[in-house]
Amino acid sequence: MKRDTVIGSSLIRPDALAKVQGRAPYVADIKLEKRDCLIGRALFPPYAHAKILSINTSRAEALSGVEVVMTAKDLPGLNGYGAAALDKPVLADKIVRYQGDPVAFVAACDKKTADKAVALIEVKYEPLFPQTDPKENLKPETPLIHEDHPMSKGTNISSSWRVERGNVIAALSRSDIVLENDFETQIVDHAYLETDSCIAEPDPVTGILHLITQGHSAQLNCRSLAAAFGLPHSKVHVTIPIVGGSFGGKEDSNLEVSVMAGVLALKTGKSVFCEYTREESFRNTGKRHATHSHRKLGATKEGILTAVAADITVNKGAYRSIDPIPQRMTMYGGGVYRVPNALVEARSVFTNQVYGCACRGLGVPQAMFIIESQMDDLARRLNMDPVELRLKNILRDGDTMITGQAIKKSQGLGLEKCIQAVCERIGWDKPLEQSDDPSIRRGRGIATIMYGTGTGYPTDGAHCFLNLQMDGSLMVGIATAELGQGGIIAMTQIASEAMGIPYNMVSVNYSDNHSSPEAGATVASRSTVFHGNAIINGCNILKDRMLCCAGQILGEDPRDLDIREGIVYTRQNKERSIPLTEAIKFAFSSQVPLTTTGSWYPPLNHLDPIMGQDTRMHTYTYGAQAVEISVDIGTGIYTLDRCVSAFDVGKAINPMCVEGQIEGGVTQGIGYAMMEKFELRNAMAVTDTYHTYLIPTSMDLPKLETILVEEPNELGPFGAKGIGEPPVTAAAPAIRNALFDAIDIPFYSLPITPIDVLDAIKKKKSPVVNRQERAATKNLEK
Amino acid sequence: MARPVQFFLNDRLETVEVDENEILIDTIRERFRLCGTKEGCRTGDCGTCTVLLDGRAVRSCLILTCAVEGKHITTIEGLGNATNVHPIQQAFVDVGAVQCGFCIPGMVLTAKSLLDENHHPTEHEIRIALSGNLCRCTGYEKIIQAVQLASQRMYP
Ligand code: FES
Ligand code: FES
Repeated sequence: MKRDTVIGSSLIRPDALAKVQGRAPYVADIKLEKRDCLIGRALFPPYAHAKILSINTSRAEALSGVEVVMTAKDLPGLNGYGAAALDKPVLADKIVRYQGDPVAFVAACDKKTADKAVALIEVKYEPLFPQTDPKENLKPETPLIHEDHPMSKGTNISSSWRVERGNVIAALSRSDIVLENDFETQIVDHAYLETDSCIAEPDPVTGILHLITQGHSAQLNCRSLAAAFGLPHSKVHVTIPIVGGSFGGKEDSNLEVSVMAGVLALKTGKSVFCEYTREESFRNTGKRHATHSHRKLGATKEGILTAVAADITVNKGAYRSIDPIPQRMTMYGGGVYRVPNALVEARSVFTNQVYGCACRGLGVPQAMFIIESQMDDLARRLNMDPVELRLKNILRDGDTMITGQAIKKSQGLGLEKCIQAVCERIGWDKPLEQSDDPSIRRGRGIATIMYGTGTGYPTDGAHCFLNLQMDGSLMVGIATAELGQGGIIAMTQIASEAMGIPYNMVSVNYSDNHSSPEAGATVASRSTVFHGNAIINGCNILKDRMLCCAGQILGEDPRDLDIREGIVYTRQNKERSIPLTEAIKFAFSSQVPLTTTGSWYPPLNHLDPIMGQDTRMHTYTYGAQAVEISVDIGTGIYTLDRCVSAFDVGKAINPMCVEGQIEGGVTQGIGYAMMEKFELRNAMAVTDTYHTYLIPTSMDLPKLETILVEEPNELGPFGAKGIGEPPVTAAAPAIRNALFDAIDIPFYSLPITPIDVLDAIKKKKSPVVNRQERAATKNLEK
Repeated sequence: MARPVQFFLNDRLETVEVDENEILIDTIRERFRLCGTKEGCRTGDCGTCTVLLDGRAVRSCLILTCAVEGKHITTIEGLGNATNVHPIQQAFVDVGAVQCGFCIPGMVLTAKSLLDENHHPTEHEIRIALSGNLCRCTGYEKIIQAVQLASQRMYP
């Protein structure tokens, strides 16, 4: 029998056609069919930090068309919700901690009426000083942002982590070279095109509250919200239709509109739709954390890394949200390199501004910017080629990260291949062609990254339900969110291959907490591997059962049988076969169950919490990116001329989708490097539209060149590793390093806008020269 | 003040009573329940609400419904359907240009408006034409490929 495989083939995703035709319903589209749905709106405070003295809702309540006005005293359950801690108030009670804390909710017949009612609510505030500086908030005398936080008692620290290995002080004092720098990274918004929205529908018969919403995990939405509704998890039914982009944001930012819709629906007994405007989405929802890092890097004069010491402070904003940022920034503190001595410490600190949440990369974009920038500073100090320096130090089979985790080739280690691939494609060895225009300087830069697959928590694992049908088709119930990445097609391909049936016989029921079990969220670049492995596990169980049945029909040992294209056949004699449906019918009549649960857990992480030594991720995705830029030294405007990326994805289940993930991720990384910055004044958002918060357009980008490297992960489904987040992480340092090459100016904070470039050029004492000119001067000096 | 407006919506003559300040996106979505026209910003920045007005791509969140009296409006629903897929739509599907899909109806209509005027646009011309349509997922790479493929297929 032909060994056709759908693994590695760029099948068309099932959602594509509906999406290009505008027939694919997002939450707000589903609302259009629900005519009598009430509209919920919220009143937000004009301050980032204030006491609420009084609220008068009588004028709003009197407005015709208003169904209900709610304040903190009217809630059905706990006044708190959140993904990691129930610390975000449903409605602000006495205190406002950031400008996105709602003070009152209104449900009305339409949006106009609801907005009018919101404007009629009278609130007296006593403004307080917005505490926005994390360093200040660390001081013991500084007031607490949360008087009584469920997890952080008596401190403004949200979470902290440290990784210690060897003896840093001794190693740094023995190092030939020690670099010491401060780095700043900015807040960025996910800027997903579909704003946050939710429909809440109470079921008067069962008492179930149904949320049609966005998110990364229907189960996580349920767990984060149930207490606020005063309902058991079993009575919060969450379904997540296709999502118009998320990038980590809607993992919990969307809970803001969900909780509003939910409590209004419970109060009124009617369906309620809540949707943020673009401005509200910018102002209120979670962001990528801003960070400040102080980092020392030691090396020998031959360019061998000896030690890294770093101290990192993360601006948490007002609520905990998702906060492994200190943990991630420390575990990756040594980058993709062998560093025998390390002490990296980080903490995230509450402030009165928009909270930081998961944002494609979870601390790693920040970490890689710092590490990879400093590598180029070191290369410059050593007068060594940046690629040569990297190749001397990269992790190879058996080497350990600063967490003590040994890196294994068997889990896929394509780092060197990625570096070679981008160097070859961009022509790293050839001199970069300079422009004839005297005001243009050109430069080239590289960065290398690694990124673990999975959350790394000891609880990380996935389950799914499989339900084999009498006609040989398979229903897969897996809580994987379709955020645009192509989750449905990847799960379909994996199930098809594992079960041995054509892929169009597989149907994936995604994102419904009432019909699929806990699978962990579609986050941490984990779905393909974790959800995929759970599906394979379930398919293997069903397959074994069906092979036993087929064995009895065929009179063969089941171990000699296999299934392909819906046919059970004997390996030795392909002619001896029966359709899978025969085996299924036999199973059904012999009371062999046609359903099962599939599960997968990665190897247990053995953690030393004091030293931060562990084996957190079962595999890592590796990557390298090389860019070429042109800088106009008269204006500071610089353009990206080329951008070549290579990522080791283990195995690309659907290469077209994988390329799409890389191209989109790289673009977000380019935005992070060159333009994106969420700005606040007095802790109030300034950049709350797409004309103040800029993201890359088609004119800001060169052709994106993408290379897939496949070094199989022995624990991955068909060798796969995660690819959702890694592509975001390399662009910022690669571009920063290209600027250093082009104009001889190192930058230490993000973003690097043309204004920053021009300022730096103006401040520079010596003439602006690029690499070739520098080399020429050096030759002259000799 | 409500007033009647007549216009062609996907080639059908329609009459609606609208307030003078009603914007076209609301008319399309709320009154006609055509959900393919997406609202990403309502401030004219993102392009997800793009429709064709007498064949040219415009932002329906920036146009008063009163102003389209007598004009032809084409939404994504007017371009093709499940059995009759427009070649631009097919090209988007074939090259994998669709991720979350929220920007896609607007992109397809902008591409239509471009290709109607310029059958063989260069990559640079495509980039210029699409630059008012934001996409946060794809990096535009495959979207540009899709427009190139559509151009080859439609105007060989
Ligand atoms: S919704 Fe009209 S341009 Fe964004
Ligand atoms: S595909 Fe998601 S915004 Fe373009």
